[in-house]
Parts: sequence; structure tokens; C-alpha cells
Amino acid sequence: MTVVERGNLVGVAVDRVDGPLKAAGAARYPSDFMPDDLAHAVLVQSTIAAGRIRRIETGPARAAPGVLTVITHENTPRLGRGPDPVFAPPPPLQDDRILHHGQHIAVVVAETPEEATAAARLVEVDYERTEPLLDLDDPRAEQVHDPGARDLSRGNARRALASAQVLIDVTYSTAAETNNPMGLFTTVATWDGDALTVHDSTQWPVFVRATLAAAFGVPQDGIRVLAPFVGGAFGSGLRVWPHVVLAALAARQVDRPVKLVLNRAQMFTSVGYRPPTVQRLRIGATHTGELVALEHEGVEPVAMEDDYAESLTTASALLYACPDVSARLRQVRLNVACPTWMRGPGEGPGVHALECALDELADRIGVDPLDLRLRNYSEVNPQTGKPWTTNALRECYERGAERFGWSRRNPEPRSTRDGRMLVGYGMASAFYHYVQNPCQVRATLFGDGSAYVRSAATDIGTGTYTVMTQVAAEVLGLPVDRVRFDLGDTEMPPATRQGGSGLTAALGSAVHNACRELVRSVLDLVRDDAHSALRGCGPDDVSVDDGRIIRTDDPSRGETFAEILARRGLAELTADGSSERREDLDGEPGVFSAKFAEVHVDPDLGVVRVVRVVAAVDGARILNEKTATSQIIGGTVGGIGMALLERTESDPGTGRIANATFGDYLVPVCADVPHVDVVFVGERDAANPIGVKGIAEIAIVGVAPAIANAVFHATGRRIRSLPITLEKLL
Amino acid sequence: MGQPAGPAAREGTRIAFPEVAVTLRVNGASTHLALDTRVTLLDALREHLALTGTKKGCDQGACGACTVLVDGRRVLSCLMLAVTCEGREVVTIEGLSEDLAVRPLQEAFVRHDALQCGYCTPGQIVSAVALLAEGRAESDEDVREFMSGNICRCGAYPNIVAAIRDVASGSTDALV
Amino acid sequence: MRSFDYSRATAVGEAVATVAADPAAAFLAGGTTQVDLMKDGVLAPARLVDITRLPLRYVHHGQDAVHVGALTSMEELAADPVVAQRLPVMREALLLGASVQLRNMATMGGNLLQRTRCRYFRDLTCPCNKREPGTGCAALQGVHRMHAVLGTSEHCIATHASDVAVALVALDAVVHVQGPEGERAIPLTDFYLLPREEPNRENVLRHGELITSIEVPLLPANARSVYLKVRDRTSYEFALSSAAVALVVRDGVIREARVGLGGVATVPWRAGGAEDVLRGARAGAEVFQSAAQAAVQGAIPHRDNAFKIELAKRTVVRALQTVSDKAS
Repeated sequence: MTVVERGNLVGVAVDRVDGPLKAAGAARYPSDFMPDDLAHAVLVQSTIAAGRIRRIETGPARAAPGVLTVITHENTPRLGRGPDPVFAPPPPLQDDRILHHGQHIAVVVAETPEEATAAARLVEVDYERTEPLLDLDDPRAEQVHDPGARDLSRGNARRALASAQVLIDVTYSTAAETNNPMGLFTTVATWDGDALTVHDSTQWPVFVRATLAAAFGVPQDGIRVLAPFVGGAFGSGLRVWPHVVLAALAARQVDRPVKLVLNRAQMFTSVGYRPPTVQRLRIGATHTGELVALEHEGVEPVAMEDDYAESLTTASALLYACPDVSARLRQVRLNVACPTWMRGPGEGPGVHALECALDELADRIGVDPLDLRLRNYSEVNPQTGKPWTTNALRECYERGAERFGWSRRNPEPRSTRDGRMLVGYGMASAFYHYVQNPCQVRATLFGDGSAYVRSAATDIGTGTYTVMTQVAAEVLGLPVDRVRFDLGDTEMPPATRQGGSGLTAALGSAVHNACRELVRSVLDLVRDDAHSALRGCGPDDVSVDDGRIIRTDDPSRGETFAEILARRGLAELTADGSSERREDLDGEPGVFSAKFAEVHVDPDLGVVRVVRVVAAVDGARILNEKTATSQIIGGTVGGIGMALLERTESDPGTGRIANATFGDYLVPVCADVPHVDVVFVGERDAANPIGVKGIAEIAIVGVAPAIANAVFHATGRRIRSLPITLEKLL
Repeated sequence: MGQPAGPAAREGTRIAFPEVAVTLRVNGASTHLALDTRVTLLDALREHLALTGTKKGCDQGACGACTVLVDGRRVLSCLMLAVTCEGREVVTIEGLSEDLAVRPLQEAFVRHDALQCGYCTPGQIVSAVALLAEGRAESDEDVREFMSGNICRCGAYPNIVAAIRDVASGSTDALV
Repeated sequence: MRSFDYSRATAVGEAVATVAADPAAAFLAGGTTQVDLMKDGVLAPARLVDITRLPLRYVHHGQDAVHVGALTSMEELAADPVVAQRLPVMREALLLGASVQLRNMATMGGNLLQRTRCRYFRDLTCPCNKREPGTGCAALQGVHRMHAVLGTSEHCIATHASDVAVALVALDAVVHVQGPEGERAIPLTDFYLLPREEPNRENVLRHGELITSIEVPLLPANARSVYLKVRDRTSYEFALSSAAVALVVRDGVIREARVGLGGVATVPWRAGGAEDVLRGARAGAEVFQSAAQAAVQGAIPHRDNAFKIELAKRTVVRALQTVSDKAS
């Protein structure tokens, strides 16, 4: 259930415009495309973590029925790397070296998936093994300090800690998690000369285009990337992973369309994952809970020759008023696949450690956990002293606590029971620092008064189709069903990636600007038109309602879009709009939330079940109550998984993923998920013309610590490693 | 019920793959196919009959995205060999979508926003149709338990439960 | 998947003869294990004999037992009214296993023969004595939180994954098989083989023998029973630990006791020692603890699964308490 907090803050709960298509099974995902004469590619992956390929025998595979070719490093041409190494990993199959278990070492292309899969097992590899580096503590491993230059500090935390009245010094660890969208990542590639058409599971079609152009040294103009529907991604579709390039390479080599579908095991090794972390937190405070010093040091693995940076510790410098802070991240280069963004990257595990450590402080000094947060509340960004564009965290606390019934919490751990079950209440704050990158949009008005708006963005399940339709309809003054918004095709104007909670603000601003420009263009048509009631009007002199432009100074006077276009003999009228990254803001954009969780713990068996969650979210203006609520619920489900279930496990000594199936890597099922109560608070944000912040990441941030703190409250046991599995509570 | 493969599993494949003639009856229509015996029902539907509404999420029987009805019961098409389905009645999301009685459920999924990326949705809906027919939608708790074979990574579960309960409390009999 | 020939059997004798005559042939029933493992390359039969059309899909109610045709699905058996009334422990075990979709596919005969979920067994790149005797056991040093603590050896610690087999072994079920040399009946307690030198041999079936039915003796009318399953996820997961318990309690004294353990052993585990402790004792917390201790007698922990010994004990105690509460 969602509450409309005030007036137009929460937008109309329009049904998802692509809902009927999806409910009919008619939405087409990359793997649903089957060009004529399609061949099928299957990857072969390394079974060692470090070394080189001494010999790779492809003869038996080549001789197997239906096989068209086998591609290895021995017959792969030099491939260029995409334009931004952050989003374009090093190209595959360029040499004989093995840098991690599961590295792609060959591609088998055959007439059918069955033939390709069978033949892939026939590729024989003779490895020269070297001892892999797999352990964060390995002294031989290279250290990367401050990756991505995100460390923050102020004052002198070390000195302030030494003199603090109360010191909390704790180490938390979080597990590696795998994004595991339901849709198996798929690339379908078709060449026509140097022109290439690709259906791909991506969150950023235009960057796929740029990377493929660089890989093959062909012009971008000839490459078309399509992703009208993507079966989830949660960050794993932000990079153009090697398999995408390999699918295109395979298609080029066999001169036929090729489909490459990662299998579920390959989804664990080929498209990134949330890195495991070890985080030490030292918090200095007064006896009354005033923070005086905070030091947060995180350590996580990164690949040998590829990079990934995330804001693991930065929220510790931004969430609370505290004079002396040091927030740092160190990475250790290991023989592992490269980690990547997974919903709430950095902040997800980082805020977990911070918020659990604060819960420890609250318990130590006997202060209510929520009071502790309020005592250290910062009205401004405590690092810069500048205000946030908007910040309703206090309101999140108040409304969340009220809806949850936080005041009923008995402060004594292990004090509350429901029958046999131990009952625990826990809470946590949440923060996410989103960014808004450039987008372009084209908007067309037709003679019948309907509109078509498009951009090469994606909708990985967030509701982009729907909310962009709503934004366009609002600006154009049209009913939602008179507007069609389309995306997922690089033939459309370029859009930024769907990641980091930034797309709605960025794309929505561009949709807003394009549609506003379209209204201006319509007004331009009648600027000198003596027959028009709108003669001489600019966009600020009118409003639009139900396809009709009316004068603000005299609402009785106006004309419909259709009338104007007809009089001009125009079948359609098009305008473009864009949005830029904002560097000129008075404040800084940040998304805030407070999460409250109740758990029941079986005192004998250690089984933890989440029985309800309240998520109070400052997402500024909410465009669509329904899809936004779904985002928060979905992130909450991800948080339940992070807290209690999810853990990607590797074999000691080999780095092989030991649980690369949906039967062994546990994500929450329907029975694991209770009622989730979502409340949106705050006000329109001035950072963009549509007044929004992004909410995809904030949805998951803070859920795991709220649950972990509830487990402590229920049991009196502080579990400092995720996931909290039952053996830790026995 | 087979035997452990041992080294035999790594021997070279044979040159000619056995193909068998199969008549698949899907959504009320019969099609004659010549299939490699290894083709699963899921791949037969998707690759050979172009019925791509049924999704492959794991190909291991662990996610439910490939759920279809066979002889009226919900099953996982990724673990069924197509050749074994001769003479069985297979119904997919495409077939259900033509069934007016199923429309209220699809509408409830949209109304309750019980889908996000939509990839698991066909499996969820096929599974829910069977759930309602099984009479297991009498409580939220039952729906949660008996829909747990369909994973939704986007986390739409509470809305899926709401959509099914909405239909169950209204016009359940339209679906049976 | 390796390619294979396919044929559909129309009679039990024909199916048995076909498979018996070809060492590389295998039966195919529900396929939930067979097809999965063929995809992984772990099983690679050259011939599959589809037995799903054989007339082995029934539940017959006898005076003292139900006779379950081997091709009866888990869902069908769970829906049987006599099972619900007289064998609740079996019904609960059935409904706590897998998902509805899998229970519609999986047959009872196949369930008894399902293979371990051990990831090393299922990955051809790992050594595994169960897959290829003599190659070693990767699980011993690998990720083995889910692995067994009872019935293990230095050759194999793979857990038997079935739930319903745990109930059946506690219920003294009998497996009826037909082979090239005729029919025989095997008590389920004698059916499974512990992993010794040949962990690939999991049961006493000979090649070509087909399970035709399972005979499940009814519990006494005054018995109370429960299947308790403990797992990380609330549903759709294999057990970390489970207990199938049935008691007859009269005047506070336990007259009859059955205890089976799942999720912790290499085979569906009959805890005879626990039953001995219980039989004749007064129902109560103390004797339940003693029984639980006896149930895990001989358990061997490894690095990450030692908790299963304690968990199994607590599972047994909770199951006994639950049944005892029902009985009184």
C-alpha cells in the first residue's frame, strides 16, 4: 500500500503500458529473435583460474555433427576495445593467458543449440597452471587504493577516535552476490557487409554499438542495436561483456546470423557480480550518542586486468553529521572475474556495515537506534557543507517509524515473543548518490493529434516505457493513450545507460524538453497566423489540455494540435530535446530512505523469516505510484536475499563458482516475501524539470541492515557476516 | 534412472544424430516435427514452433520460467524431452492468451503491477492458472507456497499474490 | 547432451528386456533428474526407454498398506485421501519437496532413484568418486555446507536429496521391482547403499531392473506423525535437515516410534538408535534429547557442515515435540 503524501508529488498510478504485452507472453526479448538461417554459438570456459593454454584441441569439436566453426585465441583477429574502459572490458580471445576460472576460451558455432552444446564439450584444453591468487589476504596480490577516486575524509578521524568516550570497532563482511536476472543474457548478431544488427540484453544500447564498432573497426553508423525488452539485469547489462563481441565475431566468421545465449552457470562468470566485502568500522561517540569520529575501511576483490569501482564507503561520510571522518576503499587484484554493479552497488553492502555498526553503538550506550540517527542528523551534505537539492530523510524516519509502530519496540534484545518465535524490530537509514547523464529524445506530433516519442534507452523492468509516456503526455497535454513512447533501438536518439538510478531523471528531462520544444514548434507555426487564437504566443503564455493549446490569459481561446497541423497541411511535426549532466546545481542530489523490518526467529532452529518491511523513501516526485512502489518492493526482495540467502561461493584453490545454479544460489521465492509497506515522502527536486530523483538503488539499500538489526533485537546475537544463515544463530 | 556416465560421457558424439518424428499437440493444434531426440519441449516450442512466450530462465528446472500445461498439469518444459510429449496436450501462454477465461488473470497481473521485466511473467501466469484450477488460491499463504516454483528476480511477489487473490476471490470458476 | 536413441515402452516386460539387453540404455520416467543430468553430461545413455505410458500410475488401498504404482506422480500421491489420513508424514514430505511443477512431473519410482545435488557430482570438470570411482572427492575440501554428516566415507559425502524417501524409510516401505530374472521385493531400508569404495552404486538395483511399485504399510490408526523440514528458503529448496517422525503414545508412554532423517545423510536415514531410545519411554523433553543424540550417533563433520549435527538433533527434538503434542 502506498500513501499519497501531498498533492501532485505522487503521480497517477497508470498501469504499465507494456503490461498487457508481457502478460500475454508477446513481449520479445533478445533470445526471442530468430533471423532466418540462424546458427547457434556456445561458449567454452576455462576450468583453471590462472596460467595459460598450452594447447587447445578443437579437432573433435569441429568434426562433430552440425559444427560450423570453433573460435579460439588462435584464430581470433585483433579486436579493439570499446571507448570507455569502465564500460568496455578488454576484448576476448586475444592471447593464451587465463586470468580467472570461467574465462571464455572458445566459441563453438553449430547449426542447432543441441549440436553446439554437445560439441563444446569436445574442446580439449591442455593448461599450464600457475598458482592463482584468490584470497583477499594474499600478500602477493596487488593493492588498488581509492579506485575511482571516491574516498572521502574530513578532519582527523584517527586522532578523534583515540579520544572518543565510546569506541565501536567492528568488522563486517558481505558475500559475493550474482545479479542473476531471469533473462539469460543473449546476443543475436547479423552482419550485412560491414553493417551489423544486434539484439542484446543490455542496459545501454548506444554503448554496445560503440563497443562493437571499436571491436571490429567498422563505422558506428552501420551498427544497429536493439533491446526493446530485457529480462532484467540489475547492473549486469551496463558493460558490453566479451560474449557480446564473441557473438558478433562468430556471426562474422560463419557469415550467418548467430545467437549466443549464456546458460545459467555462465551468468555467474560472464556478466559480473557484486563483490564480497570486508569492512572495518571504527565509530567514536559520546556517551549520549553524538558521533565524534568515523572510520570506514572497505576491502574487496577486483580482476587482474579489468577494473570496477564502487562507492562502498562514501555513504559513511555523507549520512551523518560527524566532524572527523575517513571513508576508504581498497581493492585487491585476484584471479577472479571482474565484479560489476549490482543493484545498490557500493552503498548496498557499505550502508549495511555502517548501519549495523550504528546499531551496535545504540545498543552499547542504551540509546534507541532511531534516536541515535536523529541525534546525528545533518541538514546539509556534511562533507561539503552544501545543501542537498532536497532531503526528506527526517520525514522518512518519522513516517516510517509511525507506520511501522517503532515506538512499540521493547529496547531489550530477546525480549519479545510471538508464540515460540523470537520477535525483532530493526531499522536502518539509506542513501544513494545518483547521477544524471546526457540523453536525447525525439518527439513527433501527428495530424490526428497523437504523439510518438522515442529514445535509445531501455526498460529493464523499471517502468521506463510507462513513466516516459506519462511525462510526454503531461507536457503535451495529451491523454496517456494518445502518446506512444518507444525505446531500445539505436536508430533512435542516443540515451544514457539505465543504471545508477539516473535514467528517469535524465531521460525524463529530455522527454520533457523535447515535448516542450514540440509545443514551441507548434506555436511557431501560428506565430504570425492571423487566423489563430494563439498568434504571438510563446510556450510560457499557454497551457495544453487534451490536445488543445489554450492561452493562459484567456482560457477560452485556443486551438488543437490537429487543427494547427491541418491548416498548415502538415502530416506531422517533430522536435528534439536533450538533457545534460547538471554541474550548476545549488545543492547536491541524493536519495534518502529509512527501512524498518520485523523478523521472527526460531530460537531452536535458527530460521529467520522477515514478516514485514516498511520502506519510507524520499524519491522526490514520484511519476507513477504503481511502478515506483514495485521498484521499492523489488529492491526490498533483493535486500531480503542479501540479508538471508544470497551468497556466490567459490571453491578454495580454484575459484570455480561452486553454486552456479538457481537450485544452489538461493534467491527469495514467493514464500519468503511478506507484505512490504511503501511510503513516499519529500518534495519535488529542483535538479531536473520533472522534479524526480532515481529510486532503483535506494530500494535495496538499508534493507539488509534493517533485517540484521532486527535479528539482533530478536536474538541478542550480532551476526557480522552476510548472509545470516541459520547455523550462525544455532 | 540411468547409469553414471563415467568416461563414456566424454567420448566423441556419433555422426548421425537420431531424429524422430513427433506430433506435438500445442494449444489445440497438431504439428508434425522431425526432432533431434535431445530437443526439450521448451526448445521445441521456442525454436521449432516459434512460440517464444515460454521462457528459458535456467534450463535446469529451478526457476519456473518455462512452465507450461501438459494434460492440464503445470510442468517445467525445460526438463521434458519433446519426443515424450507425443499424444499429450500442451498449452502455453500463447494458448492461454486466446482463452477468454484467462483474461481476468492477465488483467489482474497488469492492474496489480505483478510484473516488472516481464520475463518470468508467462510462467507465473501459466502457473497461476493451474494454481487456481488446483484450488490452492484460498489464502495468501497458500498462494505464496504454491507459487514458489516460479522465481521472479525483480521481486514482484507481493503483487503477484495480490493479483491471484483478486481473481480467486472474484471469478475463480471462470478459470477452471 | 550426448545424442541417444529413443523408444517408448508399452509393457513392463518389454521395457525391462530392452534396457537389460543394452548396458548403455536407461529408463526415462519423469525426467527431472535424468534429463537434468544428461544436460550436464553426467549421464550419457545411448538409449532411453520411455516408460511413462506403462500402466504403473495408481494408488491402490490395501487393508494394511497402500500400493503406489512407480509412475504415480508426487502430486497425485499427495492428493490421495488415504495417504492424507493414515500417512500424513508421507504427504507432508511430498508437499515440502520441490515445486508443484516438479511434483507433477516427478514419479515416485524416480524420486527414490534421484541423484544427489552435490555440485561436484554434477560438474564433469571436478573429480567425483560417485561419478567416476577413484577420481577423488572434490567436496571434501570444497564447498560442502549442504553435504552429509551421516553415512559418509572418505570417498563421498554427497547428501541424498529426497524428502519423501525419508518418510518412506521410516514407514518400512517395500520396493517392488521387476528385472530380467523376475520380480523381487526389497525393503527400502535395504535398498540404498552407503558410499564405500563404489559410491557410484547407490542402491541394490541391477541394470535393467525397474521399480514397479512401492508398498507403504499404514501407520496404526492411533499413530501421530510429522515431517519437519528445515531449510534456508521458505520453499522450493532441499533440506538442510529434516525429520520424519511417527509415534504411538498411550498413557504417556511411547509404544511405537519411527524416526527418519533427511538432508544430513548420504542415504535416506533410518535412525534406529533413536527409535530404541524412544520405544517404551515416557514422552518428554529429556527422552527426546536422548533420542536426538542417538539419531546422530557416528556423525562426522567437515569444515562447513558441522552445524548439521546440532541442527539434525534439534530437528528431531522439534519433530518429536510436535508429534507428542498432537498425540496428547
